[in-house]
This record gives sequence, C-alpha cells and structure tokens, in this order.
Amino acid sequence: MIGYGVVGQGLTSILMRRRAETVKDYGFNPKIVAVVDKGGAAINSRGLSLEKLEALKKKGSVAEDAAFGHPKMSALDVIESVEAEVVVEATSTNVKSAEPALSYITKAFKTGKHVVTTNKGPLALAMPALTELADYNHVYLRFSGTVGGGTPMLEFAKKCLAGDKILAIRGILNGTTNYILTEMAEKHVTFQQALASAQKLGYAETDPSMDVDGIDTACKVVIMANWIMNKKLTLKNVDIKGIRDVSLQALDEAAKRGNTIKLIGSIDGDKPTVKPTEIAKNNPLCVSGVLNAVTFVSEFAGEETIVGRGAGGMETASAVLRDLLDIRHKLANRLLNSNSE
Amino acid sequence: MKKIVMKFGGTSVATGENIRHVASLVTQNAKNDCRIAVVVSALAGVTNTLIEIAEQAKKSDEKHIQAFTKELLDKHLATISTAMTSKQVQKEVTQITEKTIAELEKVLTGICYVGELTPKSKDYVLSFGERLSAPIVWGAIKDLKFETQCFTGKEAGIVTDSNFGEADPLMNFTTHLIHERLGPLLEKGVIPVVTGYIAANQDGIVTTVGRGGSDYTATILGVALGVDEVWIWTDVDGIMTTDPKIVPKAKMLPQLSYQEAAEMAIFGAKVMHPRALEPVIKENIPVRIRNVFHPENQGTLITKEPDAKATEVVKAVAMIKDVAMLNVSGAGMVGAPGSYAKVFDVLGKNNINVMMISTAVSEANISMIIRRGLLGRAISNLEIALLDRGGLVSEVSAEDDVAVIAVMGANMKGTLGVASRIFTTVARKGINIRMIAQGSSELNISFVVKEKDGTAVVRAIHEEFNLDKI
Repeated sequence: MIGYGVVGQGLTSILMRRRAETVKDYGFNPKIVAVVDKGGAAINSRGLSLEKLEALKKKGSVAEDAAFGHPKMSALDVIESVEAEVVVEATSTNVKSAEPALSYITKAFKTGKHVVTTNKGPLALAMPALTELADYNHVYLRFSGTVGGGTPMLEFAKKCLAGDKILAIRGILNGTTNYILTEMAEKHVTFQQALASAQKLGYAETDPSMDVDGIDTACKVVIMANWIMNKKLTLKNVDIKGIRDVSLQALDEAAKRGNTIKLIGSIDGDKPTVKPTEIAKNNPLCVSGVLNAVTFVSEFAGEETIVGRGAGGMETASAVLRDLLDIRHKLANRLLNSNSE
Repeated sequence: MKKIVMKFGGTSVATGENIRHVASLVTQNAKNDCRIAVVVSALAGVTNTLIEIAEQAKKSDEKHIQAFTKELLDKHLATISTAMTSKQVQKEVTQITEKTIAELEKVLTGICYVGELTPKSKDYVLSFGERLSAPIVWGAIKDLKFETQCFTGKEAGIVTDSNFGEADPLMNFTTHLIHERLGPLLEKGVIPVVTGYIAANQDGIVTTVGRGGSDYTATILGVALGVDEVWIWTDVDGIMTTDPKIVPKAKMLPQLSYQEAAEMAIFGAKVMHPRALEPVIKENIPVRIRNVFHPENQGTLITKEPDAKATEVVKAVAMIKDVAMLNVSGAGMVGAPGSYAKVFDVLGKNNINVMMISTAVSEANISMIIRRGLLGRAISNLEIALLDRGGLVSEVSAEDDVAVIAVMGANMKGTLGVASRIFTTVARKGINIRMIAQGSSELNISFVVKEKDGTAVVRAIHEEFNLDKI
C-alpha cells in the first residue's frame, strides 16, 4: 500500500472489521506486506498487523515500527523489491504531472503487480497509456474509488450495462461544488460565503481550486470516457468552466423557471465538457448537498441515474476493497484455467 | 501553423553536402511558419556494415573490430567536416561521435569475448547507425542558427514491446511520453531531431522496429505529436505507375489512398512498408513521399480519401521477379478438411513465406508463389512431410521461370470488366497465364506469367489503361 492517509486507513479499518466475512463470503484473505507513508516504509512478507499499523500511524509514521520499519526506504524501492500481487496506490492527486503516482503505477506494472488506485491524476493525464501498459504486462488496473467514491458508478456502467452502448454520460461528480451551489440556491448566500461554510465543514480544501474550478469533475469525465466509452482522452481534451462565476441572480432566474444550476460534467459524442448548467429541479440528476449523481444514456436501456456519496475515506476505501475482490476473482480464474491446461 | 514530421532516408544523408541540403530544406520550411520534427536514418550503407560486423564480431578479434570502428569514425568525421561550417558546432558533434563510437567498440568487443550475438545485442549494435547520423543533422541545423535538440528514439519516448529486431510500439504509452517530451519543444519552435528505426522497451533496453524502419518512426512521431502531414524525403519523385526501367513513360502518381499505397508495398524498397502506414491510417494523417533532390515537386500524397476526381480504374502495374510457383496436388486433398492447413503448416514451420495462393473449387491442387531462393527447401520439406502420407499429396512440382504481375487501383472495386480487359490484353500478346488471384478487397489482381514475357505484359497493360497519361 503506497500512501496511508484517510483512504489507506479506511481500508485497514474495513479489513479488520470485516475479516471474517471477506474470508467466508469471498475467499479473500489479504495480507498487507508493505505500507509506505511520508515517513518511510513498514515491510513484512508474512503480513503486517493491521492493528499495529493503525497505532503507529496515530503516533506518526508506519516506518517507526521497531521490527519491520524502514524509515529511509522509498516507495519505488518498495514496489520494486517487495513481493506482492497488488499495489494499492492511494497518494494525493497531482493534475500537473501526475507524479509521483504515475511512476509508482508504471513501476508496479513493470514488476508484474496489479494496481488499485484512488488517484485521479495519473488517469486524467495518461489513461490510454496506462491501460495499454497494464494490458501489455498482463496485469489489471482498477480505479473504482476515483469516480463516485464508494458509489459504484464505473461498475454500474461497465458491468450492469454490458452489451448496451453508452451514448452519453452526464453527472454531478463533485460533492464540494454541489454543496456550494445548493447552499447558494437554498440559503441565498454568495459563492464566497458558501465556500467558507464548506471549508468550515471540511468539505472544501484551503485551496479549493481543484473542486470549484471544475478540474476534479473533469478528471472524472476523462476516466469515464476512457473506461466506459472507450475514448482515448486526457484532461487537456476537456472544455472546463468552474462555478466561481455563478451568480445568485442567475440561480434566482433559474429558480423562476423551476430549474437550478449545477456543475455538470458530461460527454456526448466526442466532446467532453465541464460547466455550470441549468437543469430542471425534477431531473433525477438534480441532487442536493454533497451528493453525487450520474446519468448514463444507453442505446437500448434508456436513461439510468445512480446517486450516492461521492467522496470520503471509508467510502473510497470500500471501492478499493471492491477492486481487490474483483482482481482476486480474476486471478483465481486465471490460476484454475492455467492448471487445467 | 502547420506541424510536419520530416523523415530523411539514407541517401538523403549520405554525404556532408547532402546533410547541408537537408538542413536547409528543414530550416526553409521552419521559416515558412512550420513546426518541424526531423527523423533521420543512418548514413547510406552504415546499417548494412553494422549487421556484418555484428555477425563477424562473435568470431573475430579485437584488431578487426578496431579497424572497423576506425573506418566508421573516419567516415563520420569526414561527413561532419562538410556538413557544417562553425568550428564550435563541429567540435561538439565530433565529441558526441567519438564517444558513441567508443561505446560501439566496447559493445563489439563484448560480443567478441562472449562469442554470441543475441537479438537483443544485435539491436543494440544496429542502433549505432542512427545514433551517429542524427547528431550530424542536428549540428547542420544548429549551424544555420536554428534552435534544435537531438534525441534517440528511446529519449524521445518511443516505447516498444521486447520483440527485438521487429518491435512494435505501445502506441498510447509512446504518445503520452512523446507528447510530454517533444510537444513543448515543438510549440516553442525548437526542431527536434530523432533517430529513426530505434526505440526501447519499457525497461529502457534498446530495440529496433524492423520492417518499416525509419518511416515507421516518422509515422509514430506524427501520430504522437498530432501533426498535419508526415513527409518522407527519399531519392525518387514519388510512387510511379510502374518501374520506369520497364516503361520509360511511367508517370508519378500524385495521390493514392492508404489502401492503394499498402498494396504497392511490393513495388520494392522505394515505397513505404504497410506497417509504417498503420499508425497514420488510424489517425488519418496524410503522408507525402518527396524527392529530396527535387523539392520543387510535390511528390505522392497518401491520404484516406483517394482523389475524388480520379477516375482511373487501374493506377499501377508491377512485376515481381525472383519468385517461383509451387504446385501441390493430390486426389486425397479433395473434400478433406484441414488438408490445406497441413501444406501451409509445413511451409510456415520452415519459415517460408507464401506470397500468393490459388486453388480451384475442385480442390485437387493448390498453387503458391514463394521466393525463388526458398524453392528447393520448400519442395523437399513438402515431399518429406506430406508425399503419400495417407495419400494426401501425390505430387509436388514447381516452375522457377515465372514472374508475378500485379495490377492495382482502388477504383477497380466494383468496376465491371477490369479483369476481362487485363486478360484480353495479355491474350492479344499471345502470352499464357499460369495462375490468377484476386482478393475480395478487389484492389489488386495478380497473375503469373513466364518471366521472359513479364516485361511485355507490363508494357501492354500500362498502355491499355493509359497509365502514361494519368
């Protein structure tokens, strides 16, 4: 596991809480053999104690473990040298260069390890390249947690709608901006006031640019376009406009028409866009607060909308667990089939 | 502003004077508001000498290797001295060249000690041809006071699989890296000079792209950089209606479709290998074949849509010599599923490529065209493996005095009577046709005649379809 922040800790806590069920229901008995955080690494090829990892993290870094700590070891060295099936990459997002996560993921591929990531940066900037490299190295790349947090938006479109053709995707894909727009519309406060309130509640970062300028939404559009619609797009192909210029007046006028303004990320045909868009209040997509929602327009099944919380440590960690189970299932098939040959 | 990838082949960079000419072509276009990335081959003949020395190195001594590298160094130093005038730039390029040749000497010595040449080490040796030529072109452009930067295929970001000698790019990953590394330079007006032919696998080990060569590098780069056109500079005016040695009135074809160009690969080395066209076909980027010594000519443009005005049914005719016809017959093959597979399996396992196949619905015999040099091996292997084996094959016969005539054109598809015109023309000359094949793409009709009649057939067809007035 590379990166041991809220998502990583969420994962260890879920694994501890659900150990009995994951083994019984899914035959899944994972061992975490290495964890890397900013302070270094903890490595034990027989599996680190999850309880101890949590305790160490509370004090500072997992690298402080007396028996298994390696304070100076880098993430790349760990990925290269430690034997493991899967790398869970949960470092923070960088949309400028996608580093260092991009190097972590490619290193994992080259050393034959599957990757589960919650990091939007590498996918937004180099998704066609990464999926190609994963295929070439016969490993899986999974990233459910990057879109919709714990809400299975990607799987819904990819698995539940298999065989149908997704023609367009529209969605409210960022909880922070949705909270701000909801506050503005319902409490009649300015953008700045709503932003301040979001920051106070911990929904928005001190530098809110990723969210309010639409970049986070655009990353998610890129991921969906590549994964669900087989487009070869990256962040620079997306036409992006954030919510800084949405005025109370515009919201009022929309309200008079029975509508409201939401930050909608969409892809229809070949044009990915992110922009504040007026939609009807009775549109199933029109969710309030920090909720996310996405509508898939499919050729035969029509329109389906899926709603859920789009972020959060535990929510995203649950998506990582789903990805791990998916990989486990695929690996089991591979092993069994190769044995019978 | 137009973005163009320009590729210069071996003859274009054969001498210092030629390289200066290349540099002036590049910079003139750069002045005319073009953003240009350059791809260069090795100096004419160098790749072949590298192949030879690589084979020899495993059983020769250090002296022989030193003599070779000395000669190679002299050749490149001579080129440097005429390719650029600034002493400072000459010195810079000379240093790079000396360092590169010293590395080559170490590699060859290594092969000599180990006594073994693997596909991996062979690719490494072959990469030196382009690694030596690119810095000279870079120097010549720099000499003209243009901003330029030199890259190996690996440094530029071309990542391939590990199929040494015939590596295929991981196109999406390559696009990502080239975009990151060369894209910003190109935007700033810097001219990147990239070695053709060579790349690296994901672990950074040098690979070569094999068939298609530097042309392939150029189209990969073109796709990754999203250019407007890829220009292949060579020493001919473009793609011709036929070999001018056979028909002196042969014309240059101004425009071709990707499909037609791919069909014409059999015209020989002067035409792009279909593999090199693959990347641009997907992204619909036009390719232009131009004569480096006659830049005033527009050359042949290869695009998705063939010229809408063009009504010519047939665009080109070619004769492929040095082939032989192989006939496998036996009553046992009739109605026996898998019998053809057995024949091709034997040929495939012996590394014999089948160029053309013809068989009738009666199934009692199958005719194939293969390279003439492989005929003996093909016959003996087929006889050993299949003759009288359960009565499948009763006879393997061959004719080695034949030639294939290929007639091509996209508009042949769906046009009635083309075959009849072709065969009537041949019949009027009193020439017998030995074998015929037309794929369902209908872009090409190929047939086999005696080699001595080949020239006459090409001329007659060229005339029948008025190819000299195209």
